[in-house]
Amino acid sequence: MNAATDSCASGLPGTGRRLFLRQAAGAAALWCAAGEVAGQVAQDLPTIYPSAPGPADTVYLSFGPEEADCVEAMVEHMCPRDELTPGGVDCGLAVFIDRELAGAYGHGDRLYLRGPFRPGLPEDGYQLSMTPAQYFKSGCRALDQNCQRRLGAVFARLDANAKESCLLEISTNRWDETGEFSLGAWFNELFYPLFTQACFSDPVYGGNRDKVFWRLLGYPGLPATYGRDMVTYRGRPHPAAHTPRSMQDFA
Amino acid sequence: MPHCAVVIVGGGLAAGLVARQLARDGVETVVLERGADLGPGAESRLPTQRDELRWAVRGGLMQDAAVETCTHRRSRHELARPMRRLAAFLPGTGVGGAGNHWNGQCFRWTDYNLALRTRFTGRYGPQAIPPDMPIQDWGVSYDELEPYYDLFERLFGIAGQAGNLRGELRPGGNPFEAPRQHEFPQRPLEITEAGRIFAETVAREFGHRPFPSPAANSPDPYVNPDGMRLGSCQYCGHCDRFLCEANAKGSPELLLYPWLRRQKGFTLRPHAHVLGIEHDPTVGRARGVRYLDLTTGEECFQPADVVVLAAFTLTNTRLLLLAGLGRAYDPVSGEGVVGRNFCFQANSGVPLFFRDRWLNPFLAAGASTTVIDEFNDDNFDHTGLGFLGGGYIGVGMSSGRPITARRTPPGTPRWGTAWKRANADWYAHNCAIGAQGSCYPHRENYLELDPDYTDAYGQPLVRLNFDFRENERRVSAFLVEQSLRIARAMGATIIGAAAGRSGQFDTRAYQGSHITGGTIMGGDPATSVVSPRLQHWEAENLFVVGASVFAHNGGHNPTGPVGALALRLGDDLARYLAQPGRLA
Ligand SMILES: Cc1cc2nc3c(=O)[nH]c(=O)nc-3n(C[C@H](O)[C@H](O)[C@H](O)COP(=O)(O)OP(=O)(O)OC[C@H]3O[C@@H](n4cnc5c(N)ncnc54)[C@H](O)[C@@H]3O)c2cc1C
Repeated sequence: MNAATDSCASGLPGTGRRLFLRQAAGAAALWCAAGEVAGQVAQDLPTIYPSAPGPADTVYLSFGPEEADCVEAMVEHMCPRDELTPGGVDCGLAVFIDRELAGAYGHGDRLYLRGPFRPGLPEDGYQLSMTPAQYFKSGCRALDQNCQRRLGAVFARLDANAKESCLLEISTNRWDETGEFSLGAWFNELFYPLFTQACFSDPVYGGNRDKVFWRLLGYPGLPATYGRDMVTYRGRPHPAAHTPRSMQDFA
Repeated sequence: MPHCAVVIVGGGLAAGLVARQLARDGVETVVLERGADLGPGAESRLPTQRDELRWAVRGGLMQDAAVETCTHRRSRHELARPMRRLAAFLPGTGVGGAGNHWNGQCFRWTDYNLALRTRFTGRYGPQAIPPDMPIQDWGVSYDELEPYYDLFERLFGIAGQAGNLRGELRPGGNPFEAPRQHEFPQRPLEITEAGRIFAETVAREFGHRPFPSPAANSPDPYVNPDGMRLGSCQYCGHCDRFLCEANAKGSPELLLYPWLRRQKGFTLRPHAHVLGIEHDPTVGRARGVRYLDLTTGEECFQPADVVVLAAFTLTNTRLLLLAGLGRAYDPVSGEGVVGRNFCFQANSGVPLFFRDRWLNPFLAAGASTTVIDEFNDDNFDHTGLGFLGGGYIGVGMSSGRPITARRTPPGTPRWGTAWKRANADWYAHNCAIGAQGSCYPHRENYLELDPDYTDAYGQPLVRLNFDFRENERRVSAFLVEQSLRIARAMGATIIGAAAGRSGQFDTRAYQGSHITGGTIMGGDPATSVVSPRLQHWEAENLFVVGASVFAHNGGHNPTGPVGALALRLGDDLARYLAQPGRLA
């Protein structure tokens, strides 16, 4: 299903494609999928996660259109719409990342940015002079340039197999060249943590929409006052595990 | 600023305990704390207190690395790099310090730790300690500290099970515990499901004696000797890195500072960043401290009869180095004292997955941990093992927070449907055996001032020269081996990859916040910064307290001894003020 959605999407221009990803899980996806991997879809359909109604058109605060394309394609690939969750964009993962980069974190909050700057080992942690937002965007550019050069298209335009091998390769540093921007470090130290934070943080930050990842885990969320449950549900399933509550539920 | 009797640098846990002892005599005490006074804001109230991203991942309560961090190198032949993001350990800030957002595992250290050189040479012979491992005795005995351990436990409402009551071993407690005069003031916390499996297994299969970690998470409502109250723990899993929403964690912001503020003679100045100690080397006295009032930008001077450094390991060491008080340690000659014996902790872990057991990791308190001490410190015979030290091993369930406390079995892809599936399948069914390993001093592990990097106020950062040395790697490998043996007996469906301290020190990975040494205590001025009474060897009215005075780091969390030493120091200062001079 994921493969079909992605390869269909790759033909569409930037904004059209985002619209597609948000609204088209129904008809367009079916139409697309039918032509390509019909058998698989027919089997998968009944159990596929119902598509979220979709957010009102998202305005990104940090991403430009190419960056949005790249990030949306990444989160859609890494969090495909399946029987467990909606696709990554519908889960709010791109919005989460955008909001983090537009806010204090993206602008270097709690990050020591004084020189001298010295390259270091991975174990030395982040050693560049860029803010996380600048670093993130450099990574999107480097990823697309590398995809273009090695695979003939920017990341968002690759088919699902190519996306998968691209991510496997960058995450194991196989595209890293001495003296060049390290996509491995970028993916593992910046993108991937933001991706998991987008999935599992409180939905108030824009990701984990509808607490979908908390329900997936069986994490009951708030208020987490377990003075009694600690004993009652020791060793037993917790009744609220799949009906979590988040901060907004207490607003 | 008007003169005061005692000025304390740092307004955390140790400072609050020193001030508490002084307040009983009405001593005029000023506490200078760089951070804010934590109020009834987002950090302590529902629902915002339960925000993992804000407090645990972004470190909302921690020292701001953009203002001040430290640098690190693995050997003195390398260039240092700043820890641009604080991650390996997390210094606190704000009134109450890291004592507010700790997990609450509150151990007494085994008695022989205070005379570790004597212990090892006595047990294993004069050659037992390698020449590059400057282990030394602390110059204080457990019996001297026992009443202060006891007081600290009563002030903080510590929950636990006595293992050794006045020399009599008690079932269910830690049999390696040094004799305590009194029971814990509160019953132990509820055990977790994972703790139950662990406890049953180690007792049945190996004859080990598991016990509940002593905890500052209050199982019941509690009133301490000062009339300060704790609520009961909600087992919410938001403890370490968080303020307690239920007012149920023994912490300075609940138990010490609100009480201190009502005492005559006590003054707390938040937003006061201390820059230096003024002293007169000819007479060997400190005159007071210089600080930046962050609310006005003005630099101020606080004169005092007595200066106490209680600003945690990094600042305590840095202020002495900046003032040139005591000779800086030189790793080449092995001489000098300030900065020596810097230690961390050699922790290890093994993840476990049980298909049919509901471990519900979110039902947990900070210290709802079940542990054994059979392999800690020198509780076992090290003959022929090739290392010294050890650690406690246990199931440390303290949170099921979904961003950081998830585990998936080995071989799980990092994204995609299979990744989501593994998270769904195993979240409620995993735990880890963790071991908190000792870290002994090494001649090349030390603190100094960095020549290249400064903080936001233009002062040099502290440079950590640190790596795990052979001894700690072996301790870690040994603890991993024991943990795996237990893991196999626990009947897990899957045992994950063991993580020990085998590679080089990784500044990105959180390894506990227990950094010790730099201003160590001892009986000999040639090898220590402060005396066994925590009195500076060169400036008689200057005292230092906190884990920076530890001569080594043992296999237990540090705050028990920090609390006992701080309370004793408070009593010593009252004596000193009545009759100044070198304290015996
Ligand atoms: C996440 C976490 C979990 C922990 N869990 C445990 C645990 O389970 N068990 C355990 O035993 N220990 C634990 N600890 C350690 C425990 O918090 C410390 O041992 C304890 O707080 C030490 O007390 P202290 O007074 O020395 O330092 P702190 O409580 O940190 O106080 C030091 C204070 O000095 C202030 N300061 C520093 N520099 C300056 C300056 N230049 N001017 C003015 N003020 C300054 C700081 O802002 C801070 O408030 C944990 C620590 C952390 C961070």
